[in-house]
Amino acid sequence: MQTIIRKSRKQGWYPYLFVSPFFILFCVFGLYPILYSIFTSFFDWKLIGTSAPRFVGLGNYTNVLTQDPFFWKALLNTVILLVTGSLLQHFIAIPLAIMINSKTVKGKEFFKTSFFLPYITSTVSVVIIFGVLFDTNYGIVNWLIGFVSDAAKIRWLQESFGIKVVLSVVLNWKYIGWNMVIYLAGLQAIPYELYEAAMIDGASTLRKHISITIPQLLPIIFFGVALSIIGGMQIFEEPFILTGGYEQLGGHQNSGLTAAYYLMFTAFKAYRLGKGSAIAWLIFLVILTLNGVNRYVTKKLEG
Amino acid sequence: MKATKFLATLALAGLALGAMSCAKKAEVVQALDPNTPYEVTIGVYGDLEKAYVAVFNSPDFKAKFPKVTFKFQTSDFGGHHNRLTTVLAANERANDIEALEVGFIAQFVESGGLTDLNTAPFNARQATKDIVKFALANATTTKDSLIAMPVDIAPAVLFYREDLARNAGVTMDNLPSWDAYIDAMKKLADTKNGVFAIEHPAAVQAIPLNGGKGGWLKDNKPLEPKEKFLGALELVRKVKAAGVDGDLGAWSGPWSQAYIDGKIATIVNGAWFGGTLRTWLSPEPGKWRVAYLPGKMMASLGGTYLAIPATTPADRKPVAWEIIKYLATSPSAQLITFREIDAFPALTSVYKDPVMDEDVTFYGGQKVRRIFADVALNIPENKVSEFDNVILSIWNGAVSEVVNGTLSPEQAYETALTKVKATIY
Repeated sequence: MQTIIRKSRKQGWYPYLFVSPFFILFCVFGLYPILYSIFTSFFDWKLIGTSAPRFVGLGNYTNVLTQDPFFWKALLNTVILLVTGSLLQHFIAIPLAIMINSKTVKGKEFFKTSFFLPYITSTVSVVIIFGVLFDTNYGIVNWLIGFVSDAAKIRWLQESFGIKVVLSVVLNWKYIGWNMVIYLAGLQAIPYELYEAAMIDGASTLRKHISITIPQLLPIIFFGVALSIIGGMQIFEEPFILTGGYEQLGGHQNSGLTAAYYLMFTAFKAYRLGKGSAIAWLIFLVILTLNGVNRYVTKKLEG
Repeated sequence: MKATKFLATLALAGLALGAMSCAKKAEVVQALDPNTPYEVTIGVYGDLEKAYVAVFNSPDFKAKFPKVTFKFQTSDFGGHHNRLTTVLAANERANDIEALEVGFIAQFVESGGLTDLNTAPFNARQATKDIVKFALANATTTKDSLIAMPVDIAPAVLFYREDLARNAGVTMDNLPSWDAYIDAMKKLADTKNGVFAIEHPAAVQAIPLNGGKGGWLKDNKPLEPKEKFLGALELVRKVKAAGVDGDLGAWSGPWSQAYIDGKIATIVNGAWFGGTLRTWLSPEPGKWRVAYLPGKMMASLGGTYLAIPATTPADRKPVAWEIIKYLATSPSAQLITFREIDAFPALTSVYKDPVMDEDVTFYGGQKVRRIFADVALNIPENKVSEFDNVILSIWNGAVSEVVNGTLSPEQAYETALTKVKATIY
């Protein structure tokens, strides 16, 4: 017994050593910047230059919430895109996963790969190509619409509604495959006996999915929606590239300006690091709240 | 308890780091020792490396700086400025010399991070007497520090297709006003056949604002005088109303194809755009001509500055300055850069060089350089401010409202003004 204790004491620090690389890296590149951004959010802090940061307390937060002409607009845009771009995906990804999970479907691997491919494609390339597809004068979308309608060409990338439609299409196209793969994994964990029992009871296919698939998938749906909320609230690359970068600030009427886009603009174009940090923490609070709602709704549905 | 102590220690460490990053070291800069060999590092964008390599290989340069060699760090336009911003924000060492496009100058002018070239031993004032004044004004702080040296500029002119103008029976030289330009554009455009007089109505918006390079704040008041800014929006509205534009976003695929196909009749841009036409969009000589802007308006649409980051070690600053001074004030360097990449000289003394009166084959033998030089000498001075980027982004929103017809110029101006005030005050 004494030997075992001596041996475990001797080896006592080894486990810490083995896990330390992660914790060191996390502290340096994760925890430290997070805490530092709280600190900077209380200062009027310029990104570049030699002027000393000036303590403003909650000044950056009140400025963003009460004075800033872009923050609320950016937040509203983000929530709209969250619904039409990030959450809508789940209504498509679940039926798609059910279809691919069906025993009658051949070539499942091909479909899985095909649907997942957009997710691993470069966002920059995707957005540029979608920009060309939706070009007012030379885009294939308006060309196709021209066959069925004589109406004036839709200025997809120059009008508020058009910008949101294109962004929603890009987001759905890119992330449906990702969600589908998550749901596919969830579907494969549902015991087949449940479906057999329902079949014996004479349940229709739709009834089986409503009464078995969806309830069984609820934890996965919660996980998928949580990821979508986190990702959706941080959309940056797609609107940034599609609407012309910092100089256009989200395009016509700032329709493509998202919260993360505005955060990046404030911190790295206007060089107001303190205000940028405050925006980052406000976005974090929104994400936290929305995920709280997600958790509450899931719990309610789970009964 | 332990966690609280840990977090408190971390916060203190953060404070210490923050304070350290803001600390300014006092330094003594010595004069250049001509016998010491140096490898100077230069951060540039686009095709500047091509031009500077040609300068550094010239006999004149080699005779003056036999012991200096160079190492370039070249990136694309955005990548270069992002890198520089990141390095300066971290208070880390950048290249000995860094190039800055005029649009980025405003960010650095009042914020620090770049060496004041008006101080000893640089004493830039003695070297800048022949540099165009408006470019110097852009790089000068309110406390009269010069934080970068202009090396090339982009006087704005009107480029037009001579064949299309001839066929339409219009004369583009010396247009007396913007209204005359719009009348000419109406004759030039053949929209049914896909020929447009101008790429986009927004292409003209910056011209009455001196190209949007500075001048956004007057006596600390944004978008003043109102008439100037309202005039720019009104011009955009008139061009849009004329129905002669191609609705083409600059630098997009359809935009470049329209130029390649010869479907755009005119463009208002800086002298450097001639290089883009010649080497990419429309290489066939003789098709394009250059005219003064309507009403002989003078404006600048681009330009390059060279700066010495504050983090450059003191013993390397003298050589960095000598190289910058050579590139900016040596007629040989200025003309080589002009020949290589069409970057128009910032040094006014070379405007007297015979090369400025040469016929340029690409422009059908027109003496375009004389026009560029005349514009360069008459561009008004404008102060830049740290808010320029923010104001420009808001201003672009106002232009978009006018182009789309969602707001009148007056409404767009007032909306932009409200947003600017809420953002910068």
